[in-house]
Amino acid sequence: MKHKTMMIMGYALLASVLTFSFYGMGQSLASSNDKYGEHDTGEMEYEDSKQHAATKQYPLYVDECGSCHMAYPAQLLPPASWQKIMRGLDDHFGENAELDTTTRQALEKYLSKASSSRSYQKLFRNLGNQAPLRITELPYFVHEHDEIPSRFIQANDKVSSLSQCNACHQNAERGQFDEDDVTIPGVGRWDD
Amino acid sequence: MKPDLTPSICLLIAVVLSGPARAAQDPPRHLQTYRQQGVDQVDIQNGRQLWYSTVNQRSCTSCHGDNPAKAGKHVKTGKAIQPMALSANAERFQDAKKIEKWFLRNCKWTLGRECSTQEKADILTWLSSQ
Repeated sequence: MKHKTMMIMGYALLASVLTFSFYGMGQSLASSNDKYGEHDTGEMEYEDSKQHAATKQYPLYVDECGSCHMAYPAQLLPPASWQKIMRGLDDHFGENAELDTTTRQALEKYLSKASSSRSYQKLFRNLGNQAPLRITELPYFVHEHDEIPSRFIQANDKVSSLSQCNACHQNAERGQFDEDDVTIPGVGRWDD
Repeated sequence: MKPDLTPSICLLIAVVLSGPARAAQDPPRHLQTYRQQGVDQVDIQNGRQLWYSTVNQRSCTSCHGDNPAKAGKHVKTGKAIQPMALSANAERFQDAKKIEKWFLRNCKWTLGRECSTQEKADILTWLSSQ
């Protein structure tokens, strides 16, 4: 009797391991199939939101551009700037960031539309017809950051550059740059 | 009669050992593509050598760090880069398009030229063994 019970238990254990194992294999195959899928470069899934808080980034943009640096919200540069950036990706601030044509065109379309949002127009004040490649060169940006001592930014290991928006602006990737959201690492809240 | 559970136990151990966890360590499927493109034999030592070579003060390690099993850091932006070694990051080398995108960009930036199919196969093999 005891032996019979042990045998049943043994087979039950074996069966459950086999089931689980096949399930696992199925899962890994399914996920690898997903990974082999092409990027969805068709219709874009973003909303041209007028509310800063609701700024939603295009997944392809976050994936392609956000792997090397913060995915800067498109609204932070005028359309002409993005066009220049996207046409010079083989020398992107000294790096090679070239993309295949399909991906590049999808991103250009997104950046052009998203950067036309009216809600950030104050950023482009005093810009005239210029199309700077760097957000940090916008006159508005310079004005907003000119009182911060360099020991808080450039000489601060945890920040190092004004290009690292999200080092201090906690919700930068969501397009929120309110002063209330600023915490400078090693310094604390910033209030000018 | 005492039932002999040995075959069941052996089968059970075999099943556990050959499960999905093992599959993650298999050589990337993309190596097959390189084989189809004419790579007869891979040279793992050449892969290693390319990884650690320095051209104009640039090396793969500039961003990926000395140990491919550890996370790296983008030399300019400081953004974290997940480990390249397959043992430390099973997500690596699953997407053919992604592999080719980064080989193109990074060979050009690091070596100042594109990598040959042979070189890509060698590097991929070396990283997969790490």
